[in-house]
Amino acid sequence: MPVLDAHARAHCTPDLKALSYRFAVCCEDAALGAHVTALLSSLLDADLGIDAADGGGVGQPAPHRYSLTASPERSGAVDIRRDGEVVESGLAPGVAAGWIVWDVNRLAAEFSGEHLLFHSGGLEASGVGILVPAASGSGKSTLTAGLVRTGLGYLSDELVALELDGSGSGPGRLLPYPKPITVKPGSFGVLADMAPNMLEGEGDGEWQVPVGDGTGRRVGEPCEPGFVIVPRYDPSAETALVPLTETEVFFALALHAVNLLPHGATGSQALGRLAAHCAGYSLAFSDLDAACCLVLGLLGTRV
Amino acid sequence: MEASWPEAGSVPVRREGASAVELDDNIALYDDVGQLMILLNSSAGAVWNLCDGSRTVGEMVNELAEAYPVQAEVMGDDVRQTLRKLAELGLVTAGPPAQ
Repeated sequence: MPVLDAHARAHCTPDLKALSYRFAVCCEDAALGAHVTALLSSLLDADLGIDAADGGGVGQPAPHRYSLTASPERSGAVDIRRDGEVVESGLAPGVAAGWIVWDVNRLAAEFSGEHLLFHSGGLEASGVGILVPAASGSGKSTLTAGLVRTGLGYLSDELVALELDGSGSGPGRLLPYPKPITVKPGSFGVLADMAPNMLEGEGDGEWQVPVGDGTGRRVGEPCEPGFVIVPRYDPSAETALVPLTETEVFFALALHAVNLLPHGATGSQALGRLAAHCAGYSLAFSDLDAACCLVLGLLGTRV
Repeated sequence: MEASWPEAGSVPVRREGASAVELDDNIALYDDVGQLMILLNSSAGAVWNLCDGSRTVGEMVNELAEAYPVQAEVMGDDVRQTLRKLAELGLVTAGPPAQ
């Protein structure tokens, strides 16, 4: 079976990097190729301050490749191959683009085990990092998107990596994984100004909002963490920030650490340094703008 | 470990591999082997910190009663209860008997 046909090679993204997962996407269709390139351009394998650890080092071609080709089974649909194997077939082009974002996210977690990973939003303000750890449905991505809209640097809305430097002296750096921001239908209204250009089938379930150059949404730099904000969207709540103890911050982070177990004692000690280093707050919110104002006010006291 | 454990002369020892992180007045214990993370309050944390294999339970009780005189009367029961719980979780074991 050919890994890619000649057509699919015609419209390829540059090499991209999702933490330590390095990949490229090639599309048979020029319009889809341009769309995917724009969507994923924030993951350009430039200097995001991350060293790839999967055997495909910087300067080498990305070792993983998606190809999107016309589906023989359904007119206008595409099949997706990853490293030559068919992984999805018969998808609308817009759905295929969203599927790539989802799959890259999964593989970013799988390939980046050298870092301590959190299911968390992440932001950067004047070199200070903010973690927004929370379960799905808690308003994590919405709050992250709202804060990016105010001008904060975007690290991720889903998976934040803490670099473990091994020295044990500081908390380590948060690394950017600036995937497109995924916005669920319940937040379309409050983030209406971020509605992306969409292809057929895209946006029925979720928006994938591009970030980085030309979007007005800045990608953050690798940074030392300073804040942990645990969000909880509650339509009946009064929007308020409440300080957390170091113990509460530690367990909020532990609860959302993706790979604490493989890091064992090293990971738990890193978690302890992180909790000790960061100011922690819980943020119940019913009003996104009010929540963003509270967070910005908080940053003003430190940044 | 026998039901009567810990006797006053037994020497509890922390199990290797359990990682302790000090937080506020508490201690978070992470155990790779049991894949367990638990939070010890300040009293339980004080007991944990003394489980270094150099003291008998009796000596631990005396040391803690001196540090916290208000709770001296109940200290023996509290320490033994904490040690039994830590032992149930596999976080402390009985070390060699005191010489």
